[in-house]
Amino acid sequence: MKLHEFVVRRLLLLVPVMVGVAVFTFAIAHIIPGDPAAIQCGDKCGLIVDYTDDGDPITAYEANRIRLKMDDPVLEQFWRYITDLAEGDWGDSLLYHRPVVDVVKDAAPITLEMSFLALFIAYPLGIFLGIISAVRQDRMFDHVSRFFAIAFVSLPIFWFAMMLQLYLATGTEHGGICDPIFGTEGGCFPIYGRHDPSFTYPEDGYMWFYPEGGTGFHLIDSWFVTDEKLATLPAEWGSNWLLFKDTLMHLALPCTALGIASAGSLLRYMRASLLEVLHEDYVRTARAKGLSEFRVVVVHACRNALVPIVTILGFSIGGAIGGAVLTETVFAFNGMGRVAVTSLQYLDFTVIMGVTLITSVIFLLSNLIVDITYAIIDPRVRLE
Amino acid sequence: MKSWDDGRENREESRRRLREALAQSRSDLSRSWKIYKRSLLAMLGLFMVISVSMVAMFAEEIAVEHPYRNLQDTEDKWSIDYEPRRVAPFSEECDWHEQKITTNPNSPLFSDTVVAESDDKVGDDNRYYRDTLSVIRIIKLEDSKGYNLNTSLLSIDPSNSSILIVSSELSSNTSLYTGVWVTYEFDNEAMHHWWLPDGYDVCIFGTNDQGQDLFSKVLYGAKVSLKIGLTVATLTVIIGTIVGSISGYFGGRVDEFIMRICDIFFAIPGLILAMAFVAAMNQVTSLTIPVWLGVLIPLFVMASISSSYLSSTVPLDSIVNERTMNRLTYYRWWILAIPIVLFFLGWLPFGIGWPDLFGLSDDNTWRLIATFSIIVLAGIVTLADRRFVLDTSIEGGLERVRESFDWTNPWRYLTFRTVAVFIALALLFNFSGNEGGEIVLIKDFDRLWKVQAALIFTGWPGYSRLIRGQVLYVKEMTFVEAARSVGAPSGRIMFRHILPNAWAPLLVAFTLDIGGTILSASGLSFIGLGAEPGTAEWGILISESRRYFLDSPWLMLYPGLAIAVTVLGFNLLGDGIRDVVDPKNRR
Amino acid sequence: MTIDRTEDQVLLELRDLKKWFPIKEGMLSTVKSYVRAVDGVNLQIKRGETLGIVGESGCGKTTLGRVLLGLIPITDGSVIYDGDDIRNIPDRELRRRMQIVFQDPGGSMNPRMSVRSIVGEPLQVNRLAEGVELTQRVAELLDSVGLKREHMNRFPHEFSGGQKQRLALARSLSLDPEFILLDEPTSALDVSVQAQVLNLLEEIQEKHGLTFVFITHALNVVNHISDRVAVMYLGKIVELADTSSLFEKPAHPYTHALLSAIPEPSLEKKASERIVLSGDVPSPANPPSGCRFHTRCPIAEKGLCDVEEPQLKTIDDAGHAVACHFPLGPGMQLKMAEESEDISDDDKPSAVLL
Repeated sequence: MKLHEFVVRRLLLLVPVMVGVAVFTFAIAHIIPGDPAAIQCGDKCGLIVDYTDDGDPITAYEANRIRLKMDDPVLEQFWRYITDLAEGDWGDSLLYHRPVVDVVKDAAPITLEMSFLALFIAYPLGIFLGIISAVRQDRMFDHVSRFFAIAFVSLPIFWFAMMLQLYLATGTEHGGICDPIFGTEGGCFPIYGRHDPSFTYPEDGYMWFYPEGGTGFHLIDSWFVTDEKLATLPAEWGSNWLLFKDTLMHLALPCTALGIASAGSLLRYMRASLLEVLHEDYVRTARAKGLSEFRVVVVHACRNALVPIVTILGFSIGGAIGGAVLTETVFAFNGMGRVAVTSLQYLDFTVIMGVTLITSVIFLLSNLIVDITYAIIDPRVRLE
Repeated sequence: MKSWDDGRENREESRRRLREALAQSRSDLSRSWKIYKRSLLAMLGLFMVISVSMVAMFAEEIAVEHPYRNLQDTEDKWSIDYEPRRVAPFSEECDWHEQKITTNPNSPLFSDTVVAESDDKVGDDNRYYRDTLSVIRIIKLEDSKGYNLNTSLLSIDPSNSSILIVSSELSSNTSLYTGVWVTYEFDNEAMHHWWLPDGYDVCIFGTNDQGQDLFSKVLYGAKVSLKIGLTVATLTVIIGTIVGSISGYFGGRVDEFIMRICDIFFAIPGLILAMAFVAAMNQVTSLTIPVWLGVLIPLFVMASISSSYLSSTVPLDSIVNERTMNRLTYYRWWILAIPIVLFFLGWLPFGIGWPDLFGLSDDNTWRLIATFSIIVLAGIVTLADRRFVLDTSIEGGLERVRESFDWTNPWRYLTFRTVAVFIALALLFNFSGNEGGEIVLIKDFDRLWKVQAALIFTGWPGYSRLIRGQVLYVKEMTFVEAARSVGAPSGRIMFRHILPNAWAPLLVAFTLDIGGTILSASGLSFIGLGAEPGTAEWGILISESRRYFLDSPWLMLYPGLAIAVTVLGFNLLGDGIRDVVDPKNRR
Repeated sequence: MTIDRTEDQVLLELRDLKKWFPIKEGMLSTVKSYVRAVDGVNLQIKRGETLGIVGESGCGKTTLGRVLLGLIPITDGSVIYDGDDIRNIPDRELRRRMQIVFQDPGGSMNPRMSVRSIVGEPLQVNRLAEGVELTQRVAELLDSVGLKREHMNRFPHEFSGGQKQRLALARSLSLDPEFILLDEPTSALDVSVQAQVLNLLEEIQEKHGLTFVFITHALNVVNHISDRVAVMYLGKIVELADTSSLFEKPAHPYTHALLSAIPEPSLEKKASERIVLSGDVPSPANPPSGCRFHTRCPIAEKGLCDVEEPQLKTIDDAGHAVACHFPLGPGMQLKMAEESEDISDDDKPSAVLL
């Protein structure tokens, strides 16, 4: 199978899955207790807002039902749901009183920024330690690192995040282990939030100084804040670099909490993969040729050992988005996880549908990219 | 009829074989243990798992019941109107109690002797009492503004240590008429762990904001977490194995369909899926299935059993040909199923229910008759089938039935099939008379059950895929083809040949999944979608500690450590088992 | 080996038997083409004889075996067993009357089952014996293949290759079949063990009056055990003859080439007599037109061999049949290897055939 055929095939296979996910979210929204028509009018449901042609009164509740077309057959509702989705109309949030698309658009970059950065830290770390662990198989380092790898996988993310807050985000006088490097209060890292609370979220709830059509990734956006806006900020954040640094400092703890489990499992995968490769004939040949151990491991073995590791990336992205629910709750990030939790607590079903849908889209797309990458690296997969 | 002696030889033979099988499995186990023992980490994991299990098993014995609250009691909650008493681990303050004393002689509540009692009410709102406490010494006395008073203003009644005597000096001081607060050390009998030295009444992990002993809560939490982990892992394995084996064994469209469904499940991150599921079940209070489904399931089992039962009673040379056979099997289902369904729904085409027809009002009699009718009906259909359609004697079939219940049989003859028929009949009997149109599976479908249901719901596709891969792999092996070439039926191939050779990775996944489930369940509790607040569940404990975690870090430290240790134990155990079942390490 | 020629009755007949495997391709997994593993085989197997089927790996001989046992569905044509089409014979009866011994004796036994369960399984699933009776029958079967009854509670991995093949044989004998398909039963064994197993097979055949089809790629084994031999090439039978006739005067160039590849421990035959066929075996998904062997045949003629497909025709009174436009008569010699190399445009001839 040619590469483009493989890609097209994978894309086609995505379609039924996406439809399935849509059916699923639709079903969830219909099973979830709570009548959206009743939620929208709240305690004014009994008010008569209109009259039918026959002169019968229509209450606000009934008007909502008519407006939301809730009395239509389920299949019709589903079809409308699908077409609306395709047109980008994901409904309005009952809680935030904004279109779901906007809510998701604000939340998604926050989660993605955190997840990607976490994996960005976890991958090199896990791979590096995995290599050392495999090379020094059954030595002390191997045992210790393997133990810690399993231990990190076993940690509850939310608890680990709180431990990080306790020890790294509070000063020594509060039981922490380090004092602030830059500021005067707290520990060496900020305790929660995406930015210093004194300048984020002014009255209207938006970060006014970040460019309007920005990426939403503040690590990137911070470099595009215009000088005049910077001038209005206090001196500590008065430059692009300082804004960037602030964002990064706030991301440090969440990413550690999120990435540590990935790093642990990666270490184990990398170790197993490399050990397998190290027993292959061509590695033995390379050794026999008198190449240095470093060259043998890094140039010959690692390249092949890394190939299967690529596939794990897809799963780790899913895991990271799932884990983000917990990390965001602890660190008060308004990402998708927190939005999901809040919307579930208030049974804001349009948002639940939207978040479920968008996370699965992200997950599927990243898996697709991973698969294609894998197919490029290892052409055998395409034959499958 | 055969006598008991007739079966002796067969019984001895089967006993011998049972002994041999046991010896074999013993040697298998000892070899596995030898491999397992090699890894220090695996041993550590086993130790951890055993310890946690022991703790969970003996939680009541190890833990103390704090006088302030019955830990298991989550319904009977009272608002706390005093300052939360979060006490650090190993602090003496565990045995301290603060109580308000009315000192105004004009107040109707005034008395010059005050009973030292706990804040907790026992009983309902209207009729309750409080536990009296035995006071050891008075630690401090404060007025309502928090200024210290001389502790000698209050004294302990020498004859009854539960009674505090208010001195006249105190009751005559008009500036204290708003009341005073006394803090005293009491004999915290219930706080004393039996396994600690005498007089060492400390709260080992401290207490939470409601004065509850955290140590006890963490111990009870082990019970909850292990229960969740084991239930969810077991049920997901069962569901996943059934679905996965069907998918792998039959292949084709079935496989395609099941795998597409699994894909949908995989497309949504597990935790978010579980969250949505918990929310969707928000208002479900009991898990029920409609009667028709409940009746159809045992019927389905019975019909499939009877068909394979029947085909095995037919002598080889009497089979007309395969196509007739298949058609027969097909018809038999309908022959059996339709009247039975009608029968059990108490519904006839003319709108007359069977109970009305026979004037049976007594539920039990009706059930009994229904069950017996089913047996007779099934028997008649089976025998008629043999007699008229297959045109063979009914002797063979009767013989087989007699054989299954014959006590001269070795254990081997009392087949799974016979047992399954009994179970199906028992289920039928149990469910058939259920009024109200629904069969209650889980009566109190509380939030813990919802978490478990959600985790099962999200977990099975993983196992399905795993077992499907295994089945596909084993299915291609020659011995499966060999079994097919001697005419072994699908069920036997699945249960005797494929599954026994496919379970090894399943065992590893099962062990790892117990840990994973505990993590997810505590995560769900943490974000408020899991266990009820106030429950002794580790996730809830951490979630509740968030408000105080800077002041009282112990509140989150110990439950978190408990989760980590338990999960780590299962992960290490799973890793060890992986080494054991790895073919590279065997021989 | 003595064959009762008077009972020259056909037990099994294959009529234009075809087994094609679909190849799925493209984005929608549509069937684009077929692998023609067995493509029109006509064959009669007589009661009590041993028919050898030889051919290179990939020529379809294993598939042929599976199809004639009814283990995989037939694409076209029919298999007549004792007068009935096997599709009309109930599965369980078929399984009881026709048995198979697999190539890999270790793999054909469930590693988690004891010898008693393995050998007794056919009896058990067909409800022929249980309990003590089963043990007794298994013991007898083990005796008959030269194993001890103490072996009954052992597991397959405790046996050597030869012993495992004896076990497999015992299993296939347990239902007392009329016909056993031996699918390369000796190829996984050492030469010394091979001889033992072959002798055992002959012994058993005589005792039970069995009919064997012996699939193999080893010609010397066929020579030893078979009464008749069928040579397969790319899903078709190219030559069918009595063993002696085939080995003495092979009529098809392919057979000739195969025979010349048998290593002879004698100095009389010259090494140059060895015929090396050029090129690779064509893909069974896309077999050559005309005679399938013409791409590698040293005597193929353009315009005939690559256009017209030769039919299997009897060429002498003894029933020696060959599918070739230019069958080699007795004593005819094939051209030498060097010459055949010239014909080929492939510059790298495959060195050895087997």
